[in-house]
Amino acid sequence: MTLATATQPDEARDKAGVSHSGSRRSGPDTAFHLLVAASALLVLVVLGGLVLLMGVGGSQAFRTFGLGFAFHDVWNPVADQYGAWAPLFGTIVSTLIGVAIALPLAFGTAFWLTAMAPPRIAAIVGTAVQLLAAVPSIIFGMWGFFTIVPFMARTVQPFLTHHFRHVPGLRFIIHGAPFGTGLMTAGLVLAVMIAPFMTAVMRDVFAAMPAMLRESAYGLGATRWDVMWKVVVPWSRTGMIGAIVLGMGRALGETMAVTFVIGNVTAVGWSLFAPRSTVASLIALQFPESPAGSLRLSALLALGFILMLLSFASLALARMLRGDTK
Amino acid sequence: MTEIDLQVAKSPEVALAVRNLNFYYGENHALHDISIDFPARRVTAMIGPSGCGKSTLLRIFNRMYDLYPGQRATGEVIFDGRNVLERDLDLNILRARVGMVFQKPTPFPMSIYDNIAFGVRLHEKLNKADMDARVQDVLTRVALWNEVRDRLNAPASGLSGGQQQRLCIARSIATRPEVLLLDEPTSALDPISTARIEELLDELKEEFTIAIVTHNMQQAARCADQVAFFYMGRLIEVDSADRMFTNPKQQQTQDYITGRFG
Repeated sequence: MTLATATQPDEARDKAGVSHSGSRRSGPDTAFHLLVAASALLVLVVLGGLVLLMGVGGSQAFRTFGLGFAFHDVWNPVADQYGAWAPLFGTIVSTLIGVAIALPLAFGTAFWLTAMAPPRIAAIVGTAVQLLAAVPSIIFGMWGFFTIVPFMARTVQPFLTHHFRHVPGLRFIIHGAPFGTGLMTAGLVLAVMIAPFMTAVMRDVFAAMPAMLRESAYGLGATRWDVMWKVVVPWSRTGMIGAIVLGMGRALGETMAVTFVIGNVTAVGWSLFAPRSTVASLIALQFPESPAGSLRLSALLALGFILMLLSFASLALARMLRGDTK
Repeated sequence: MTEIDLQVAKSPEVALAVRNLNFYYGENHALHDISIDFPARRVTAMIGPSGCGKSTLLRIFNRMYDLYPGQRATGEVIFDGRNVLERDLDLNILRARVGMVFQKPTPFPMSIYDNIAFGVRLHEKLNKADMDARVQDVLTRVALWNEVRDRLNAPASGLSGGQQQRLCIARSIATRPEVLLLDEPTSALDPISTARIEELLDELKEEFTIAIVTHNMQQAARCADQVAFFYMGRLIEVDSADRMFTNPKQQQTQDYITGRFG
């Protein structure tokens, strides 16, 4: 299959009449050409295959529940009733919390590393950031379970409940039994996981900024604060959007760490401290107990399909945001 | 610092008085015992081969080197009666009074208007009308007003290289500095844009003290009143432009300006 598809670019180019050194190409060169074209086309094949598998596998669920499947908030395997809204809600909110916390952290770290840190210390911290990015997610899951969850249950939640339970707007967000699991805990763990990636991207963006441009701003008497907000941020906007999308992509699909700390209850609600679930954690937990051909398995595949759409949507949004800077 | 030195620096004739200045990039001793005066409202050109320290000297006058750890200067640079190198000097104020223009145009990612207003807003609270007047004034002085008056809100990145560089000069003089530092300001420009910048310097020196680093000997000869020749971190010779290019005292200067090395 790969060989058959690999010949396509040649034909396409010939049709388009693009001249190339094709006629003079030697044997090894042709082989190389076919090889790189094949690997590029493989990307399309794999992507198409994934969408197809999820779509076809989930079609039974979509047929049974209609498009309302995405917005129905009941997930009840006993009654064979499935709706994606509860895990979808959990995925979106925990991701947004994670990105919201990671973004200033990553920005600050990257800015400090590129513009202010003494070189020796920057090298140490930079390496630490890379090491943090290399930690497997299961480690973050266990760390979250043994450290963040008890911390939330014993310290944060009692504190918030004690001080803010009578504040009308906040009550909805903080109420719930102090289990320590939930969207906020998941968001925190996600933030720690994605911040190193976002830092790495932003650091590259800042490093690519001409030193002269930064010096020009300082040269007018601007403070570091002015330079950061009025020159560095607007200049690196595209790159920062890229960093955010990278972080979001990782947070949307993060499975293991979230499963450890989110509580795994398929419910919808605004409390950030009540047990919830995400698409990825729900699939991971229920996949092994869903028999082949069952509506439940189909519903899980349909969830996967929606998760993919969500990732594509975030990428499209990034493209759009990038576009209007031009 | 002696009383006499202070007197010299305070007199209107000398804008910047450099005394026994040494500069280090970490362990690397980049400038050796530099002493030189920059006459007020004159153009002083600094010439010399790459790495001779002329740009380094420029970056001391507005303490740009302070941004980078490991770089340090000793000695004195007297500006308005104070040593620029003093630790407790307010750098933001110093940099508003000592403007700088770089090798390449560096428009900020914002509109033409905001590029000018950016520096002004850091130091002055102007109402809209005054700011508009300031923007028009500086753009007129760099001969850019007629070219951009209809698109002040367009991104500055849309201007040509020469226009961008004039915008950067306008941006620097908008904070009303006394000294203007130019680090090879025309090295990225075509000959016509270069000529316009040089004409501009001639007008600007009526109001500002100008220190320009250049690789272009003709440019130094055309624009400068005083020329300083640097070689390997040392000031070899400083003299009026006329004498420097016709009758230099040092053999090294002679060799450099006749193109025998560098």
